[in-house]
Amino acid sequence: MLAKRFQPMASHARRLYVELMFQVMGRALQAISEVDSEVQREARTLPQGFLFEMMVMPNGSKLIVEHIGEGRFHYHGGSAPRPMDVSIRFKHLAHAFLVMSFQEKTAVAFANDRMLVDGDVSYAMRMTRVLNRLESFILPRIIARRAVKEYPENLHLPEKLISAAQIYLKVATHFVQTARA
Amino acid sequence: MTKTYYEFFCPVKVIAGKAALEHIPYELNGLAAKRPMIITDKGVRAAGLLEPVITACEESGLDIISIYDDVPPDSSTTVVRDIAAIYRKEKCDSIIAIGGGSAIDTGKAVNILVSEGGTDIAKYTGAGVLKHPLKPFFVVPTTAGTGSEVTSVAVITDEAKGVKLPFSSSYLLPNAAIIDPRMTLTLPPHITAATAMDAMTHAVESFTCMAKNPLSDAYATAAIKKVSQSLLHVMDNPKDSHGRLELAQASTMAGIAFSNSMVGLVHSLGHATGAICHLPHGLCMSLYLPYVLEYNLETIREPLGELLLYLEGPEVYAATPASRRAEASISALRSLRDALYKRCQLPRTLKETGKVTEDQLDPIAEMALDDGSIMFNPKEVTLTDARAVLQRAWA
Repeated sequence: MLAKRFQPMASHARRLYVELMFQVMGRALQAISEVDSEVQREARTLPQGFLFEMMVMPNGSKLIVEHIGEGRFHYHGGSAPRPMDVSIRFKHLAHAFLVMSFQEKTAVAFANDRMLVDGDVSYAMRMTRVLNRLESFILPRIIARRAVKEYPENLHLPEKLISAAQIYLKVATHFVQTARA
Repeated sequence: MTKTYYEFFCPVKVIAGKAALEHIPYELNGLAAKRPMIITDKGVRAAGLLEPVITACEESGLDIISIYDDVPPDSSTTVVRDIAAIYRKEKCDSIIAIGGGSAIDTGKAVNILVSEGGTDIAKYTGAGVLKHPLKPFFVVPTTAGTGSEVTSVAVITDEAKGVKLPFSSSYLLPNAAIIDPRMTLTLPPHITAATAMDAMTHAVESFTCMAKNPLSDAYATAAIKKVSQSLLHVMDNPKDSHGRLELAQASTMAGIAFSNSMVGLVHSLGHATGAICHLPHGLCMSLYLPYVLEYNLETIREPLGELLLYLEGPEVYAATPASRRAEASISALRSLRDALYKRCQLPRTLKETGKVTEDQLDPIAEMALDDGSIMFNPKEVTLTDARAVLQRAWA
């Protein structure tokens, strides 16, 4: 009885958490593309104007970024100017929560059929590598190990701290700018 | 580790064994199909493989309404559109695809157009676009390797745009796969070896990659056992129909396994090598398999060690210490490749193919990283890792 009463609240909390994580990750994608040459190298081969989306099916939270050229991403929030080029869709809010709360690695979520990829698979692979790199940078090593298949051996603490600080600063600035607007 | 979640789906009726082709009329009738169209290629027709199918149908009073026998090795959107036009003109109501991967993929794509309508197959590219069952569709494989008869995907080239269009839907799965040993009896040794190693790779990667699950494991191990026990026997006795049936069944079982658990780095490298150097897919699989297993070794030691039982049998498995079984599995695969090289010169290294140059290794590595199957490889693969595997496979 008590569990039934709390269920809508738990579901609402998960929805809010996933929405917040999408907002943070979207802004962080834009930020990392401004500071990390490896991400810029990966992104450069994407067509200019390329739109990438992560979303929860059927009409849940969305994260949309655009490649604006030179390996840079622009975060669009939850609405897109054009149809998507690549969309990674979680089949259910619960699956998005598993990944966003680092209980299931992205690669494991793919292997468990939690998500669908719509669009050019090679671009989806590239974006997955970018997301993995982002998670390795912005998460503490112990949590990042739960999020990515393998934590990069060549990512050392000073580089990680400096990059993470830059990314978080840019994310915070972007949040403030959005709130002011 | 126990799999916490998995999905498994294979609704294809498998009709396998002696006189299997003669079941086609009955099965078509069961789906109210009376006007079948055959889709195949010139090689299949020249090998005389259409006759037993046509005769089997005619003996039951079922006429084949139309035969399209010009499917190219890399089928295109134009070919699909042309075949769909013939299907509609002849008022066909079902499709029988006879051949290897290309004929089967073409049959799947034609079935989309004639069922959903229109002439532009590109409209249906992607996953989950199809929402309704398609027309009755049967597949008769003439190679024992691709497993396309039990997979829910097709790839068709868009010539105008120069891209490969993927189609993925459970509705692409055929109603029935007819596995008849007569259809593979005349396969030349080189193709027999390469396609069987393709099936072996499907099974090994299915058993060792990230989406492995208990049901796909069962199919994968059964397939590995059949290929291990029958391949060299068939190479020495190509007209042995029992051995041919064993390989054909292994191919179908490996197809069921990998379509439910995906594949890994062997396929990523193989797809890239096929695209850049135009090497046959089965050959690439045979070539890369041991090198990739060595690369993944510490991540897959336990499942790879288990495979020794199916590769070498219970005596060898029991006599090998548990800590050495994974290496022994790789050795077994290497020995099989050596035996195949001795019988039909199936290349074991990139250099032995004579069609790859060392300066192509970097583009192959880069393309392999963008291949979808790399996601399911148990170990994260960097560009440096891919280059290292290619260097080992070079000579």
